[in-house]
Parts: sequence; structure tokens; C-alpha cells
Amino acid sequence: MAGSLRRNRRYVMLLVLLGGFGIVLFRLVSLQVLQAAELTVKADRQHQKTVSLEGARGTIVDRNGKVLAMNLEVPSVFGVPTDVDSPAKTARLLSPVLHVRVSELEQKLRQDRRFVWLARKLDPEQGRWFDRTRVEGIGVVMEGRRFYPKGPLLSHLLGFAGMDGQGLEGIERRYESDLQGEKRVTVLQRDAKGRTVFSKGQQAEQAPASGHRLVLTIDEVIQYIVEKELDNAVARAQAKSGTMIVLEPNSGALLALAGSPRFDPNVLSNLSPDRWRNRALTDAYEPGSTMKAILAAAAIEERVMKPETLVFGEQGSMAIASTVIHDHEKLGWLTFAQVIQKSSNIGAAKAGMALGDQRLHQYLQTFGFGARTEIDLPGEVTGLLKNPKAWGRRTVASVSMGQEVGVTPMQMVTAIAAIANGGELMKPYVVSEIRDAQDELKRQILPQVRRRVISRETARAVTRILEGVVTEGTGGKAAINGFRVAGKTGTAQKIDPRTRAYSDSKFVSSFVGYVPADNPRLAMIVVIDEPQGEAWGGAVAAPVFNRVGEQALSYLGVSSSEPVKLAMAASGP
Amino acid sequence: MRLLAICVGLCLVFLFVWERVDMVRVGYQVERLKQEKTVLERERDQLRIKVSALSAPDRVAKVAAERLGMTPPQRGQVIVVQAGPLMAPPMQSAPVELRVAKHEPVDVRR
Repeated sequence: MAGSLRRNRRYVMLLVLLGGFGIVLFRLVSLQVLQAAELTVKADRQHQKTVSLEGARGTIVDRNGKVLAMNLEVPSVFGVPTDVDSPAKTARLLSPVLHVRVSELEQKLRQDRRFVWLARKLDPEQGRWFDRTRVEGIGVVMEGRRFYPKGPLLSHLLGFAGMDGQGLEGIERRYESDLQGEKRVTVLQRDAKGRTVFSKGQQAEQAPASGHRLVLTIDEVIQYIVEKELDNAVARAQAKSGTMIVLEPNSGALLALAGSPRFDPNVLSNLSPDRWRNRALTDAYEPGSTMKAILAAAAIEERVMKPETLVFGEQGSMAIASTVIHDHEKLGWLTFAQVIQKSSNIGAAKAGMALGDQRLHQYLQTFGFGARTEIDLPGEVTGLLKNPKAWGRRTVASVSMGQEVGVTPMQMVTAIAAIANGGELMKPYVVSEIRDAQDELKRQILPQVRRRVISRETARAVTRILEGVVTEGTGGKAAINGFRVAGKTGTAQKIDPRTRAYSDSKFVSSFVGYVPADNPRLAMIVVIDEPQGEAWGGAVAAPVFNRVGEQALSYLGVSSSEPVKLAMAASGP
Repeated sequence: MRLLAICVGLCLVFLFVWERVDMVRVGYQVERLKQEKTVLERERDQLRIKVSALSAPDRVAKVAAERLGMTPPQRGQVIVVQAGPLMAPPMQSAPVELRVAKHEPVDVRR
């Protein structure tokens, strides 16, 4: 009896155990086999974190490695409105830290959303407050912010990047694909506390590569000299704006490009696009008498004129196609060199007519007018050079003295550089090297000859004429002590948009030239828009050429080719 | 013999567990160092930007003029001299450029 009871108890125990194991086995099969796929996804969601990584935007440096634009990781603050207990209290707490109005913050925190930006790309100092203080429903993420440490220096050429790090203007836009850092999405393993952990077999995650570094041809010091002198000239003349370009005539490399007024790309709010437009490329103007330098090159190359050819100045006025062309003074017989040096419109018109519509148009085209210079900057316009078929009876005379033709400052300085370097039209460029984050050279941009526009002999003859503009003609104020300067002044009347006729009060004053004339190192153009008072290019723009040239040549260590007139320093007690 | 086998087995189990635990520990350490590196890199970039801003030519010119009382050289005070054939030894390949600052007394009060 007792034996059967014990046996029964054993069976019961065995059944209980087997039942227990059966349940465990069933649960095991259910979890590991039947629900495996679904649970794997759930587990992965808990332990894995997908993050998108982005390399820093590339740095931009000048030709001496001075940093002009650079990225920095800075804090951005976001809110999770559903996790914020008291939006009013939180807004009051954050307002002085973020420098955002309380009402604005409160309104954002009251939204029925899971995520809202409160302030993006703050100064690093502002972010430190969040290292010390935790606020429920408020978080901080690091984002790349573009810094321009030199402030307004080179702003028109550099352009700027937008809030999401994309280049919007200038070099930033043109070289967007090179500057952009690598973007990558990666999956990290994390523990219960959300910390990242390594799992067996996982490779160490490499940081995404930064964008490429751009090495510009620009020289920070020459750029500073240009901006300082241009700003002074625009202020002195109470002008609307000013533009100046400095380039190496033998290579086409830009050393400086400035617009006045300037802007600070670090502070863009409330600025109109008009302010950051790069007028050196986007604005075509009637060049006026500076075009006579190109006319001289064409006329001498085509042998319709020699520097010593005599031209009658018609005593200051000449009728052509039922209009009258005037000179600024009554001139009689002049050599062709004097026509350019004294900037005679009548003499220029006669030289243009001697060339004829077709040949003049062809030379202007060859010198690059009416087409983009193809510089590596965005927004360049072609200017205006009408087809000779559309020219009127007066057009050849007008074009010869720089009217009825629209050019950009970049086209004009590139054309004058071709005369300076002996007749080769160079492609202007501003980026010389592109290097990766490891400083390995990815691309090198070398000087590029576009075409020969005139012979060396013609270039030499025109240079002698243009030297005369400075020594005996209208460009005396461009003269630089100890150096031979060649250049041409220009004073162009602007067209009044109301009357569609040339204005008597609005001018564009300019000077374009190069120095030293015998072995040019710098080709420069100065354009001052709507100067008040005396508006002659020789009075407004030529002095800027002088001051920039003098300082830049000294900085570059170019030795004088002419005797230096020493200024006697004031001595006294 | 059986005892030895059990001991070896246990050792292997402990080794396996230790390896896993240590890997997690080193993982945390790597993560912490990576964060430190990021912070230091951020600081380095901040300093680089600061250096660049402080060495901007307009700031240098302002400090030179206002704090140190320096003035730009007068016309003719800086003369760049190129060594000529008389100064250079015969058959020298390239001319050497010398920059000489001519010291003229300048009355800075004017």
C-alpha cells in the first residue's frame, strides 16, 4: 500500500517536472523560433542607435595658409514639448541663456510636437550653461557652424554658407562639392543607459572625412590694403559703391578682390542680397575711356595707327551720324599716343572708324568682352557687346570711347593684363590648390592661357602709350614713386533710368593699369560708382591705384626700377 | 582526472566571461577617450579661429597704431634694393633681393 503510494508520488513529481520543462521548452521555441523575427527587430531597436555622421566643412585659406573660413562644432538647443511640464517656467529660465524672447520660447514649447528647435548654432560659451544645468524636455546637439574669423575681409569673394552648412554665395557656393564633408549613416550598439558599447566583431567607427581645404591665390595682406584704400575712397567721394581687383598679369591669379561697402558674413541678418553681390562679376558698366587702351591695342596691331600717327582733334567737337562728339578740352593735331594720353574722344572715334565695325568688334571679342572670363566664381555675367549687324552709324565711335558696350571689372582687368604680359589673355582664377583633410593634394589649378590677343611688339607699344597717360596725361595721380606705371583713366556717364539718356550728374570713375610697366607684377582696376563732386577717373580712382600699388609692391618686396624720390621727413624739436 | 576536467572547464567559462566583461569595459574606455578627443579637437578649432581673428591685418594695424604708436612708413622710407652685379660674386645664379628700411626721423606728434 505504502509502496504504491510512493510510486504514485514519483509519477506525479515526474509529470510536474516534465510539464514544467515542457512549458519552458514551449516558451523557448515560441521566443526563439516562432517570434524570432519580430523580437529580433524589437531588441535591435533597443540596443542599436542609428546616427547620421557628417564631416566638417572644409577650411578656406589664403595663399600663405591664413585661415579665412573654418567650421566649428557649436551647440544647438532643442525642446521636446511633450516632456516639458511648465513651458512658461522653462521659457523664463532659458530666455537669458539663449537670448531669445520669453514669449517666443513659450510659444514653441506649447506646440503639440515631439521636437522643436529653440536656438541653433549658438556661441560655444552659451552651450557651457547646459553642461552644468539639466532642464527637463530640453536637449543639446552639436552642429557645425561656419566662422569667418577675419570678419568682412574678402566677404564678397568668399560668400557664405547657410544654416544647414550648404554654400550659398561666392567660393562657398562654387566649390560646394569639394568643401562639403562626408555624410554617412552608421549603427552603434548601446547599453541600457544609452551608452555606446562595442560588440564582438564590430569595427571601430572611423569619423567621417572632413571636406577639402581650398588654398586661394588671394593674399590676405594685399586684400586688406585694397579694402582699406577702397573704403576710404568711397567714403571720401561719397560714392554709391566701389570695386577693386588686383591680379598677377602673368598668371591670371587673383591677389585681391574687394567691394565697398563690405559686409560681415558672420552676421547676415537684415542684409539685403544687394549688399553681398560680387559687383566685380555681376555688374556690367559702360567703361568709358578705359576702353581706349583696348582700342589702341587693336589699332596698332592692325596697323591702322602708329603711336606717332597724327590725328586732328577737331578743336573739341565733331559731328557724326546727326550727333556731336565732344572732348573735355579743345584739341588740335595730336599723335595717336597723345589721343590716348589726353583721352580724346574724337581721336578715339577716328581710330575706331579706321578699324571699322567688324575688326573693332572682333578685337573686343578676342580680348574677352561679351563673354564670361570663366573665373571660378559664381554669378558672372557676359556684359554687353552687340553684334556689329545691330550697330548704328554712331556705334563704332561710341564703342571706341567705351559707350554702348557693357563690361564687368573682371573682364576689363583681364584684358589689360593681356597687354601687360605681352599679349596673352589669361584665364583668371582664385583657387590654386584643393587638399584633403590629410593635406594630400587632390587638385592643382595652374595658370591657363586662353589665347594670344596681340603681338609682343604691339603690347610694348601700347605699354609705352599707357605709361604716357600717367607721366603726361590724365592718370598722373596713379604714379608710384620709383616705378613705371601704365594705365588708363575712365569717366563714364551713367544712363538715367528715367530719361534713358546719359546723366550729367551720375558717373562711373575708373582706372585700370599695371605696375611695374616694364616687368608687371600687379594689374589692377578701380571702379567707383557715382562719386559726388569731382568725378574724373584721374581724380577719384587713380589715387587708389597709387596707394594700393605703393603698399603692395613694398609688401611683395619688388625693387624699384626708377630713381626713388625721397620724402624729407619733418625734423624738429 | 574528472576533477581536473571540471576545473579546466570552469576556467574556460571564467575566461569567456572575463573576456566579455573586459571588452565592455574597454569599450566604455574607448568611448570616453573618443569624447575627450572630440572636446579637445573642438577646443583646438576654437583656438585656431581665435588666432586667425586676432592676427587679422586690420586688427594688427589698429593695435600697432593705437597701442604701440606705430605709423605706416613714409614715402621713400622703405627701399627694396636688388643686389647688382658689382655686389654679387661673379657667376652667381640668381640675384638676391634685400629689403632695407631707411630710418628717417619722423615726428609722430604731427
